[in-house]
Amino acid sequence: MRPAILIALAFAVVAAPRSSTAQCSANASSCVSCHETQGLRPVLGDAQPWHVDHGFGDLCSACHGGAPGEEDQTRAHRGRREPLIAIEDACAGCHRDDAAARAAGYQAALAARPPEAPSPPPPRAPRVAGTSRPADPYLAALALALALALVVAVRRPRLAAAGPALAAAVRAPTWSPYAAGALLGAIVGTAAVALGRPLAASSAVDKLAAYLGRWWFADAPYYRYQMAPGITWQVWLVIGVLGGAFASARWSGQARWRWLPDAQWVPRFGPSRGRRLVVAFLGAVLVQVGAGIAGGCTSGLAISGGAVLAPAAFLFMAGMFAGGIPTAWLWYRRAP
Amino acid sequence: MTGVASALVLGFGFGWALHKAGLTRYDRIVNIYRLRDLTVLRFMLTALAVAAVAIEVGRALGWAGHLHVPPTAAAANLVGGVVFGVGMATAGYCPGTIVAEAGEGRLDAWLAGGAGLVVGALTFGLLQPTIMPVLRGATPTGRGTVADLLGASPWLVAVVFALAVALVLVLVRRVGRPSEPARTR
Repeated sequence: MRPAILIALAFAVVAAPRSSTAQCSANASSCVSCHETQGLRPVLGDAQPWHVDHGFGDLCSACHGGAPGEEDQTRAHRGRREPLIAIEDACAGCHRDDAAARAAGYQAALAARPPEAPSPPPPRAPRVAGTSRPADPYLAALALALALALVVAVRRPRLAAAGPALAAAVRAPTWSPYAAGALLGAIVGTAAVALGRPLAASSAVDKLAAYLGRWWFADAPYYRYQMAPGITWQVWLVIGVLGGAFASARWSGQARWRWLPDAQWVPRFGPSRGRRLVVAFLGAVLVQVGAGIAGGCTSGLAISGGAVLAPAAFLFMAGMFAGGIPTAWLWYRRAP
Repeated sequence: MTGVASALVLGFGFGWALHKAGLTRYDRIVNIYRLRDLTVLRFMLTALAVAAVAIEVGRALGWAGHLHVPPTAAAANLVGGVVFGVGMATAGYCPGTIVAEAGEGRLDAWLAGGAGLVVGALTFGLLQPTIMPVLRGATPTGRGTVADLLGASPWLVAVVFALAVALVLVLVRRVGRPSEPARTR
């Protein structure tokens, strides 16, 4: 057997799922993933003002302790304090100037609490990490299909034998947007059904940038309490995107090093590489800030969120066009 | 292990689709905002309709576990979208296509795109405690879907949505085709 086929088969074996992992701690802490996202004892929408006030972020463990990186319920609840860890210290983490005053409010509320108010047990047991999800056949089918495509694609010299239509599709520089969109839709659907995950490119950036954030801005509340660095599922997804785009470009003869966009840029902005780098940098900054504010990017919010018909996705898309159309007009108002 | 493999496989297909749709091209991304090339719209709407129906099929067959529904906070979603759109129409990038452009060998994506994303993430991290409570507090928040809001069956909503998308795609099929010469007003 040729080595390329062996590699592709090994890939298929690895990719064929045996048991799925729980989706807790995909992006947010496992507190928010289990309590809120999976709805196993949600608190952020309740009438308690402190939960509503702090609901903008993933701040549970700052006041309640626990191990927000753990996916298993028992381990995640280890170190949790009922009802609160040292109140003034918890407040001082973010509200350095008036921590004592804020803590006094909580102490008063605690004192007014009925003496025995044990928290009710969760209504149903959370999914345990490592249990098999019924979606495995779905994922297995997709993995096999992609592996098969890879076998065919890797053996490019004999592509024609595998089917001229398939060979032409692999080598085509572009596909109809409907065909490419349907492929993306199938992938988004698989990720949602089989894994309960969005395809969130901006989340991968957040997780990687947090390594620098924790180091440079150790005192910033966002990096102290919310955004933990990590090589998450989304980071591996982005590595896959790099490979997929390279494969598509390579096999259609389009992969090559270049500094400038192929069309439209040079007539408008000139051949300067420096100008392209500056404009591209500023645009990328805005894109990532916008994704942070909105709660996701084109892939994670607009497409993955729109696919489950979340209102957030459609509001985000409306905002994208409201910002993008005037901007494009400003850049190109004097262009022919 | 399985998680890494599924991420790599799905990411591979995602990157493949982005490249085959031509979304690694600056002009194609920018021209959606000039309404001269609607490829991005066709690509995204097709993906949305297929995924929405696929998810409902997966749920009906009992394959779906918990679905991730992004939280809605209208002001934050809208304002974030506006900032995102300004950046996208300027650079011709979104976070996913920067990675795909890097895979295609574009050095501006490797250098300026990568650095910009990291700087943007850090900027948001520092701004977050100041701006997010204001934006999230401005409008009601929730984790429902459109079906929850309407009190309708998710099946019905997904099918109506897919049909509406198909109708829109048919209606705009002659608008903004890149092969056409640029329209002049």
